[in-house]
Amino acid sequence: MKRMWIASGILLSILALTLWHSAHITRFTQELTALLEEAEQYAEAGDWAQARQYNEKAHKQWEDNDVYLHVLFRHDNTDAIFASFHEVEEFLECEEGGEYSAANAKLIVQISLLAEAEQLTLQNIL
Amino acid sequence: MVIAFIRTVILYLFIIAGIRLMGKRQVGELEPSELVLALIIADLAAVPMQDYGIPLLAGIIPILTLLSMTMLISVLSMKSVKFRALLCGRPSIIVENGRLHQREMARNRFTVDELMEELRMKGVTDISTVKYAILETNGQISVLLYADQKPPIAQEMALSPEEPGLPIVLINDGRVLDHNLKARGYDRVWLDKQLKAHHVKRTEEVYLLTADELGRVYFAPKEENK
Repeated sequence: MKRMWIASGILLSILALTLWHSAHITRFTQELTALLEEAEQYAEAGDWAQARQYNEKAHKQWEDNDVYLHVLFRHDNTDAIFASFHEVEEFLECEEGGEYSAANAKLIVQISLLAEAEQLTLQNIL
Repeated sequence: MVIAFIRTVILYLFIIAGIRLMGKRQVGELEPSELVLALIIADLAAVPMQDYGIPLLAGIIPILTLLSMTMLISVLSMKSVKFRALLCGRPSIIVENGRLHQREMARNRFTVDELMEELRMKGVTDISTVKYAILETNGQISVLLYADQKPPIAQEMALSPEEPGLPIVLINDGRVLDHNLKARGYDRVWLDKQLKAHHVKRTEEVYLLTADELGRVYFAPKEENK
C-alpha cells in the first residue's frame, strides 16, 4: 500500500509541477510581450530611448530566467529567442523603424509560441 | 512539460491495451505492463542522451511517470483480482480432456503449429494424452497430462531413493574452490586422493570436479591434457 501512495504522490507531484510550470511560463511570456509591445509603441512615437529601456528590461528578465528556460525548453527555441533579442536591440540602436518593427513582431511571436506549446490543450496533446 | 506528462500517460495506457489485444503469445515472459515499460523506457532515455538540444527533463519526466504508473499498476493488480484480470488477462484453457478449444486458441492468436511446438518442447507428441493445456498470462503453456500418462514418481513405486542434495563445484577450470571444499567438509588431502583416483597429478588438469551430499564425485578432465 505504501508503494501505491508513493507512486500516486510522484504522479500528482509531476502533474502539479507541470501545471505550475505551464501557468508560470504563460505569466512570464505575457510580461515580456507587454514590455516589448510598449517598447514598440515608444519607438513608433519616436522615443527611441524609452523603447530601448523597455526592450532592455524585457531582455534582462529573459536572461534572469536563463537557467529555468534552458532546463525546461528545447534549446533551439530559447537560443532563437536569445538571438532575436540581440537583433531587435541592434535595430533599436540604429533607430531603423520598419526593420525594428518586423524583428520585434517576430520576437513576440517566438515568445508567445513558447508558452503556447506548454498549454494543456487537446491541440497540443494530439 | 505537462504535455509530455499527459502524452506519456496516454501512450502508456494505449500500448498496454495494444499488447493485451495482441494476445498472450506476444507477451513472452513479461506481464503487459512490464513489457511496455521495457519497450519504451530505453527509447525515452536515448533521445535526450543523444540530442543535447533537448532538455534532460524531457526524458526524466516521462520515465518517472512511467515508473510511477508501473508501480501503481503493479500494486493495484496485487490488491484487486478484477484489475489483474483486466490488465494481464486470465489463463486460457486451450486443450481440455484431449480436445482442442479452437475458439480460445483463435481468441489468443494461437496457432496449431505453435501448440504442437510447445507440446513437443514439453515431451508430449499426442494431444489425446493431455488433460489440460493452459495458456498462462505470461504467454507460457502449462501442460497437465492424464494421470495414467504421467511418469511414475518414486513415492508411487514405493521406492526410497537417497537424497543426493546439491552438487558443489570443487574444481572449476583448474582452480580449486577452497570455500566449497570446506563447506562440503573435505580438505586438500581428500582432493589429492580424488585426483589420484582419476589418474591426474595436478588440479590444473581438471576441468570440473563436483561432489554431492552423498559424496558422489563428478570428474571431467581438461581436454587438451588428454
